[in-house]
Amino acid sequence: MTQNGTVVRLSGVRKTFGAHTAVDDFDLKIEPGTIYGLLGPNGSGKTTTIRMMMGILLPDSGAVELFGGAPDFARRSRVGYLPEERGVYEKMKVLDQLVFFGEIRGVGRSLARTRAEEWLERLGLSEWASKKVQALSKGMQQKVQFISTVLHDPELLILDEPFSGLDPINQDVLEEIVLEEKERGKTILFSTHLMEQAERLCERVCLISRSRKVLDDDLRELKRRERTGVVAVEFEGEAPPVATWPGVSEVEEAGDALHLTPQDGVLPDEILAQVVAGGVSLRRFELLEPRLHEIFVRHAGEPAEDDAPSQTGGAS
Amino acid sequence: MKQVWSVIRREYVERVKTRAFILSTLGMPLLIIGIMAVVGFVAVLSEQSERQIALIDLNGQLGERVQQALDRAGYDVELAAPGTDTEDLDQQVLDEELEAYIVLDDTTASEAVFAYRSKEPPGGVRSQLMRSAIVEEVVDLRLGQLEDGESVRRLFQGGSLEYEPVGLDEEEAEEAEAERITGMITGIAGGIILYIMMLAYGAQTLQSVLEEKQSRVVELVVSSLRPWQLMLGKIVGVGAVGLTQVAIWIGCVALLAGLALPSLIAAASDFEELAQFRQYLPGPGAVLLLVVFFLLGYFLYSSLFAAVGAMCRNLQEAGQTQAPLIFLIIIPFMLQMMTFQGNNMQWMNWVALFPFFSPIMMYPRAVMGDVPAWMVAVSIVLMALTVWGAAWVAGRIYKVGILSQGNRPSPRELIRWIREA
Repeated sequence: MTQNGTVVRLSGVRKTFGAHTAVDDFDLKIEPGTIYGLLGPNGSGKTTTIRMMMGILLPDSGAVELFGGAPDFARRSRVGYLPEERGVYEKMKVLDQLVFFGEIRGVGRSLARTRAEEWLERLGLSEWASKKVQALSKGMQQKVQFISTVLHDPELLILDEPFSGLDPINQDVLEEIVLEEKERGKTILFSTHLMEQAERLCERVCLISRSRKVLDDDLRELKRRERTGVVAVEFEGEAPPVATWPGVSEVEEAGDALHLTPQDGVLPDEILAQVVAGGVSLRRFELLEPRLHEIFVRHAGEPAEDDAPSQTGGAS
Repeated sequence: MKQVWSVIRREYVERVKTRAFILSTLGMPLLIIGIMAVVGFVAVLSEQSERQIALIDLNGQLGERVQQALDRAGYDVELAAPGTDTEDLDQQVLDEELEAYIVLDDTTASEAVFAYRSKEPPGGVRSQLMRSAIVEEVVDLRLGQLEDGESVRRLFQGGSLEYEPVGLDEEEAEEAEAERITGMITGIAGGIILYIMMLAYGAQTLQSVLEEKQSRVVELVVSSLRPWQLMLGKIVGVGAVGLTQVAIWIGCVALLAGLALPSLIAAASDFEELAQFRQYLPGPGAVLLLVVFFLLGYFLYSSLFAAVGAMCRNLQEAGQTQAPLIFLIIIPFMLQMMTFQGNNMQWMNWVALFPFFSPIMMYPRAVMGDVPAWMVAVSIVLMALTVWGAAWVAGRIYKVGILSQGNRPSPRELIRWIREA
């Protein structure tokens, strides 16, 4: 399914809960077919932002657009939404529950059943279909919840902290599915406080800190721009006295490797030339990409846990 | 609308499947039947005498009659040969050959006083049955000796009040009487059904709302449904469960009545009496009115219960918050119980106009013909308006409440919720 036009657009959005400002002066634009990461520490305003996209909360000021219009029910039905607060009908059977969620999203009963069975098969939960949800482990419940968000084959997936609470194996399974959905032309927005996850999956990221947007960019572009020129080198045998080389301002040991920070204006090529000239056999020479976490810290300081009091609705 | 239907079905199916529902639905009639059976069984068991009971007639007039009467009452009694010594019988009791023996003498013939000689006193049922059997025989014997015995006998049957209608012919009067009785039965039964439905199932709506809110599943649901659709689906679904339960109970009663019907037919001397029985069944008007009052009353209370559920964080909080609603249901029920007992004060009709009291108080009055038709009509209009208002308020509280995880709102906050939702 391909889409034209912006999928989600927020402009100048602000939301407060009593004295606490959860989201302030927020702009965001999600183009179709991308995987978009909404990153930030707990309490930075991710969930509030997502709830506004879903029309669950209304912004105090600013505009929220979904598929080019107000997030009404018709447009919301094109979204697969996995809230952060993961509720289930504990006493319902897994398959019944999935069929119910399919139905209230407009999928016919028998089609919902077929799709639910396919998804359960795919996520290895087939034998649990007629068990009560409360008999499932937390991780399995989460997979069931994920299925219920994609059962109506939505164009846009909005996943609020989809990976939290999953073990590494199931995180991989979910990552794989997210990538597959993207291949099928879906747009995916997910929030996370785990930078590694975002680094692996996202094409575009938005960093939020203390209710405000700090960065919003293409991930590769961002990394290129944020590159510091630090190179990692690893030698066979004894390392040469790199600290004394001209053009190197700082040396840091990182396991077997050494991270060399060039002086201003010195290009990595010049350092490579020195390495080669040194006659030492080289195992690795790499221009280091900045980690998302470092970029975040550089722009927003150490992620701090905001206290987020709320009166109506969580403001995390 | 299709989605509301899905909510209704989920609510209904999941509820009907629960052990609690099956137990309370089948358990109630079974429990009642069980208790009756146990009580009856114990009574019968205690009346089964292991050893023989003897009867000795010192007067000579009553022996055979009493033996037959006791036989009819279920006691196999051996009549001792005339001239048997009571000391012999005493000895037999002591040797446990006899359980007891009854002595009929001249005092018995004149005053129906008789001796029951045994090592243990007779049980309550036994003394009652034996006494009435013997009294009847003595009365019969004595009346037979009187000249106008027959008329005295009729006097003993209790006489009767014969109602003679003025200004109505007999047929009309009979119809009016039947109508009154039907109205009374329908009114009482209808009032109780309305009371149970509003109280029990209104409260279940609250629970259902609270469960969804507590498990946070509601956020998932309202991302695809409008809150009012969810609320409506819940109210209808829970109500349908309640109706199912009531229908099963009524079915049980009908079944028992059906089992008893052959004996009813046997008891009815002719078919006309049986046909008369039919006129006591409520007419379509009364049933329709019950449906109207049920729909209005149930929607009124369950929407408010839903709002209370949405306001609270847990069952304890909800327990306190729902108290005013519970009172609003119990008070009219008590007032109604008072007036059923013939305490029919006219001003109560005006109390019954209060929309929150109307289902329980106005319906019985309407079917018993205690209030003029215009009052019933006004009451229905008032209730409809109240339902509309309550649903509007409740819907707004519900919309904000289900997604709020904070403290229970103060009255001022509640007003803000209603205004801003």
